[in-house]
Amino acid sequence: MTENQKKILEMLSKNKISIDDAYRLLNVIDSGEGEPGSTVKAEPGGKSMPKYLRVTVVPNPEHKNADNVDRVNVRVPMSLIRAGIKLTSLIPSDAMDKVSDTLRDKGIDFDVRSVKSEDLEELIEALGDMEIDVESGKGERVKVFVE
Amino acid sequence: MKRPPVLMRLRFHNGDRKFGLWLPLFLLIPLALVVLIILSPLIIIAIVVLWPSGWGKLALLVLQAAWGLLCSMPGLKVDVRNPNQCVYISVI
Repeated sequence: MTENQKKILEMLSKNKISIDDAYRLLNVIDSGEGEPGSTVKAEPGGKSMPKYLRVTVVPNPEHKNADNVDRVNVRVPMSLIRAGIKLTSLIPSDAMDKVSDTLRDKGIDFDVRSVKSEDLEELIEALGDMEIDVESGKGERVKVFVE
Repeated sequence: MKRPPVLMRLRFHNGDRKFGLWLPLFLLIPLALVVLIILSPLIIIAIVVLWPSGWGKLALLVLQAAWGLLCSMPGLKVDVRNPNQCVYISVI
């Protein structure tokens, strides 16, 4: 256990930081970003690989319905998305056909089998540039982004 | 290397009813591994018997994928709430 990890656990035991904050800080140290003298790891071109996909729904304070809006805060690790997409290779081909047919019926012309593992990293890297920010008329503000 | 989750925090709130639970997965996973080791002869026999039909290989891949999925879960957080209801799931 390093000195930094000890300090974080001490702060947690004294309730100076929350469990989520401690987890985040420990992750930073694990990835080498918090080590003294180390630099933040970055991908070529200055972009770091996204770690989480975030979906948030928050009420728009200016809207009259703001109090009735559900708050949603979802954080999905990219590794879970990778594992999920890899699982599609285990789906039997006849079930895949049914999925593709259903998607086509819904107006989505997409073949699930076309997602290859080699395309996956490129896709996840491209997600780093994505940010969706939608404001609905019901007083909701929906944000989808990666971090 | 990816590690399996160590803790799962669950919190549900529906009107007056509240339910919260810290699930110590670091204690449950060794237990599950012991059960898996005990059952492994049966699993191996089933895989060998089913291998010619192709289902054996699929079963092996499903086991591998399930472990991969479990090890990918740390960091997952779902928090949905309104004034009367709340669902909070966090995997650490």
